[in-house]
Amino acid sequence: MKRRRKSRVEFEVPDQSATTTTEFSFSLTRVAVSQICLSVGYRSTDSSALDTLTIITTKFLQSLAGLAASFANIANRTEANLFDIVNGLQDISLSTSDCFPGGSTLHDTESHCLIKSAVLRNLSDFVTSVSEIPFAKPLPRPEIDGSPGRNFTQTPRSPSVPAWLPPFPESIFFLERCTKETSDHLWENSDSVIGREILPVNSESESCKGRSGGILPERRARVRFKVERDSNDGESGREIEVKRKIREEPKKNESGGLIWLRTRDAIEDSC
Amino acid sequence: MNHGQQSGEAKHEDDAALTEFLASLMEYTPTIPDDLVEHYLAKSGFQCPDVRLIRLVSVATQKFVADVASDALQHCKARPAPVMKDKKQQKEKRLVLTMEDLSKALREYGVNVKHPEYFADSPSTGMDPATRDE
Repeated sequence: MKRRRKSRVEFEVPDQSATTTTEFSFSLTRVAVSQICLSVGYRSTDSSALDTLTIITTKFLQSLAGLAASFANIANRTEANLFDIVNGLQDISLSTSDCFPGGSTLHDTESHCLIKSAVLRNLSDFVTSVSEIPFAKPLPRPEIDGSPGRNFTQTPRSPSVPAWLPPFPESIFFLERCTKETSDHLWENSDSVIGREILPVNSESESCKGRSGGILPERRARVRFKVERDSNDGESGREIEVKRKIREEPKKNESGGLIWLRTRDAIEDSC
Repeated sequence: MNHGQQSGEAKHEDDAALTEFLASLMEYTPTIPDDLVEHYLAKSGFQCPDVRLIRLVSVATQKFVADVASDALQHCKARPAPVMKDKKQQKEKRLVLTMEDLSKALREYGVNVKHPEYFADSPSTGMDPATRDE
């Protein structure tokens, strides 16, 4: 009881200020409950009484849902069906004998026909006798869709993945792993050789894809070029030949694919 | 033999009645919106793609609330009218859902609601009915 009173104090706030999902759904239920009270014949209400009735409504809904879900789980099913709901209703009707009379008389289990259940017959009478009262306000779609349960089902997934599995992690995690793989990439392609040129992320992931497949996306021209040190440094005449893949085609034309790089220039550039 | 045939016919009728009822649920719009019910159902671990079953739960809840409210209304009507000075006001009895009536009605449904006895809760205190309007 204490808990209930506390929550009542919380919900004294007007409906517009509902921020969380719980408050939002509570205020929606409150509107529906007050509509039902109005249809019964009430003209006004104490806010505490309305809040109490709203809380009891949500408890009723959740206990019925919990009962039906547990009946479904006992029968090794994940989805509840009509039998589970009727069984749950009959369990509830034992305590609320006024609302759903005849709950103690089970439906005919041999013929498997549920309309024999007095509870269900009462409900069908209710549907035919009571005129429908549609909900007063149109529901804002994004608020309801924002609930995690909805998003879960709406994420696109391949048909081979069962629906009850949790969704895949965000694609950031794949990309991160892909860039990590480049650390054991070929030494020639590493940044230190290319001249600290930072590759864009897209091309890296591309090369990564090609690597994992074992096939390069396209055949590239192979270029030879020499790195020569200046004679002033003392170590003269040393030539290092480096084979590298080159991306830009125009460089290939210069002096028959032979490019001379001076180390000093490179050092100056880096400084 | 004859008996078996009869029960078979009865079963057929019952099946037809059940299908008819479920079909009528498709056209019936419950006061509690489907999305709201679905939200509460999902919270309790209930999964079902069938809209008719969600409507069935919704209708059951609506019936429960309506029954509780009408019981409370009976309690409200059965109570002797508070003494009013104005005769016009005495004729138009205010129909207000109060905690007192609600807790009496809910007791029959197995819900024990206890609330502190506020002075203002009692209708016999001569409270101005105009202030209770929503």
